[in-house]
Amino acid sequence: MAYVLNEAPAGPRVTLPALFTTFLKVSLFGFGGPIVWARRFIVEQQHWLTDQEFADLLSLCQFLPGPNVASITVCLGSKLRGPAGAAAGLAGFIVIPWSIGFGLGALLLHFAGVGGLRNTLHGVSAVGAGLIIATGLRLLTPHRTRPMALLFAALAFVGLAIAKLPLLLVVTALAPLSIAAALTERAILR
Amino acid sequence: MNLPAALIAHLALLSLISFGGFPSVLPDLRDFVVGTNGWLTDRDFANCFAIVQAIPGPNMILMTSFIGWQVGGLPTAIASALATFGPSCAVAYTAFRFWDRFRDTAWQSIVRRGLAPVTIGLVIAGGYVMARVGDAGWASLAVTLAAIALMLGTRISPLWLVAAGGALGALGVL
Repeated sequence: MAYVLNEAPAGPRVTLPALFTTFLKVSLFGFGGPIVWARRFIVEQQHWLTDQEFADLLSLCQFLPGPNVASITVCLGSKLRGPAGAAAGLAGFIVIPWSIGFGLGALLLHFAGVGGLRNTLHGVSAVGAGLIIATGLRLLTPHRTRPMALLFAALAFVGLAIAKLPLLLVVTALAPLSIAAALTERAILR
Repeated sequence: MNLPAALIAHLALLSLISFGGFPSVLPDLRDFVVGTNGWLTDRDFANCFAIVQAIPGPNMILMTSFIGWQVGGLPTAIASALATFGPSCAVAYTAFRFWDRFRDTAWQSIVRRGLAPVTIGLVIAGGYVMARVGDAGWASLAVTLAAIALMLGTRISPLWLVAAGGALGALGVL
């Protein structure tokens, strides 16, 4: 797949405040999946990227460690305005939303032991776990015809969830083997 | 190493290897914070997780900030936030510069095809561990299963599912 991200954008130069406010909005609207909002603001409103460019950027960032949207912010800010752009986007994405979220959350945590709130949080936590599992299953769908992919997904799951191994160990043990398996698949396909 | 420094070093390490984002670090983070060091109870950890589902903003960064806050107050919360996004953003910045140079090369697609399944397994593991955290009984597991089914089978917004889970909890069903 091609990444056509380093080309200069058409149209007028994007300003640093525009980067700051756009990623501020992505972060604040980020209920239930910030990716949806990132696409809406970046592609539909600002026209900084086409749909295809956004999909390419997203697939690169899903492959990198860390929160996907933070990586998108850094990559897009850097593409549009270099290091200053990356910093402006990241500041917009984090500073104000973090302060608001931290204030709200600290208040909730303070009262987390109180009966009604404790039960509510329990329900929210159960749903949150389900949302994560559903996201994982959906990501797995395109790989369902590859036995090796299913095997390595299962090994990663067992290593982390059942055997309770450290993440570093699971990643460093499985990633090279899984990449080697993907290489073999390709050789067989040829 | 004093207590906040150990937490921050661990968060920075997890940031660098958090393929799949937030969910993949949850099992390791829980073992480190609740199991190995006993800084938080299982219920505290689950509460941090629940709260970031219910508020907007960068939720992975907020969750580690809440953990930091409970371990060492506001300075540790801020340091935890920086340790969570700093290393991974530095990787993103560097990768973005290099990646384009090697675009269309065969090994790039092989690396992606190889890494994707491992990432997906880690994400599902994160959800599984959070589903069983604390005093999760059969009713709680049923809610998790229902959320999975509704997410996969319908186009309902996750926001409604979170609200419904909170309401069921408040009614004392779980």
